[in-house]
Amino acid sequence: MSDFVLRLERVGVAFDVRRRLRGEKHWALQDVSLELRRGQRLGIVGRNGAGKSTLLRVLAGILRPDRGRIARADASCQLLSLSLGFVPHLSGRDNAILCGLRLGLRRREIDARLAAIHDYAELGDFFDQPVASYSNGMVLRLGFSVALQVQPDVLLVDELLAVGDAEFQRKSAQAIHERIHAGTTVVLVSHDEDRIADLCDSVLWMEYGRSLLVGRVDDVLAAYAAAQG
Amino acid sequence: MGYARAASRRGPRMRLHFLELLWFSTYAELRAERSRSYLGLLWWLVEPALMMAAFWLVFDRILGSGGPGYLPFLLIGLVVWQWFKSSVVHAGQAIWMNLVLIHQVRVPVLIFPFVHLLADAIKFAVVFVVLLAVLWLAGYPPNPAYLSLPLLLSCIGLCAVGGGLLLAALMPLLPDLRFVVEQLLAVLMFLSGIVFAFERVPAAYAPWLAWNPVLVLVDALRGVLLHGRWPDPAALLRVAVIAVALALAGVAAVRRLAARYPKLAA
Repeated sequence: MSDFVLRLERVGVAFDVRRRLRGEKHWALQDVSLELRRGQRLGIVGRNGAGKSTLLRVLAGILRPDRGRIARADASCQLLSLSLGFVPHLSGRDNAILCGLRLGLRRREIDARLAAIHDYAELGDFFDQPVASYSNGMVLRLGFSVALQVQPDVLLVDELLAVGDAEFQRKSAQAIHERIHAGTTVVLVSHDEDRIADLCDSVLWMEYGRSLLVGRVDDVLAAYAAAQG
Repeated sequence: MGYARAASRRGPRMRLHFLELLWFSTYAELRAERSRSYLGLLWWLVEPALMMAAFWLVFDRILGSGGPGYLPFLLIGLVVWQWFKSSVVHAGQAIWMNLVLIHQVRVPVLIFPFVHLLADAIKFAVVFVVLLAVLWLAGYPPNPAYLSLPLLLSCIGLCAVGGGLLLAALMPLLPDLRFVVEQLLAVLMFLSGIVFAFERVPAAYAPWLAWNPVLVLVDALRGVLLHGRWPDPAALLRVAVIAVALALAGVAAVRRLAARYPKLAA
């Protein structure tokens, strides 16, 4: 039995250059082939505009490929997002429920975790106040605390975002590291090669919307560094 | 593991999740609407009352074309129209307004227009109960033909679903639509006999207007509420078919275009 979670064969994604019913296309992903195994920790490197974020959105099931094939095992894939459209007039508690539902949780699952979210976000009495009264840092902490409660089969991370003050940054980074080392399948996009070398067991190098090289961390990062000159 | 599993991609769990998301989002929408204005939910009653006063002034007092019983006649038309118009406008903008969210997370896009359709239906239910009370006080008590109300209101609701979803499907691709929607709806209001009776339409135009389901339904609703008259089954069947077809076309349009929304700039 194969233990693959996702398999992409020559996948391409095109965007309309302008907002029209029909018109010129721009292929953000040209030709990407990739196989993701259960428990794999894949890092993605490449220059700006190489298609890394687009690829993550394909893996998350947000974007449908315009060409090529994608096969999925019965596994949930979730892009780590910090603020899924909070409603300013609603309390932190109601926003946490709304956000959890949007991330695919059932209501009773969220209810069971509200205390943990409240605790982790360090909001105190503000949890039952409208989000409109929050500082930026408080909004981000709430978003992170909700996102942390969802355990997808495949966790997709677009840059490890530093959230809140120094103390909360340390706490959130640690939480993500724990998640990654707990055996979750992870795809991590980052410009920080040291972090990729630290967290991942394989790397994909992308260039101009194509998967150029995929393999062991040392090999791919060395080739990537050489190409950068 | 101490975490909640994210929903699987298919099956009954997905459908239950859709309903939970729909219900809570609707609650959030209604809560937010209440906090956005000073009068809050009272606007649901004040707005049709103000419109009724304006039309009564122009058509009855100034133009003298109202006739006896014009006020309840107008009130029913405006309350129903208010529901239909709000549903179409709110649902119509829903996908376009949520493009940022559609970029970030895999959600069924139908949820966005349905939240507004449900919220507007709940508001209408409250206003409609008040309307029935007002009519009773004005000398139009409940009658046996009230039994046809669920069917009539469902058909109006389906027309709103169809109109709202068709607009919702196209708005992200053609955002200019939002500038013409208000005007189109104003024209449609006059073609739907909200401020005048269907009988007063010249014979040459009547067969054409009879294809407008909203006109036929509002006319039948007035017959029930003001005269205790049962709706004509043949006419009702015809508009019911049109209403169902509209709603299905709306769902099909959103589904067909759903893959394009995550690619559009928000």
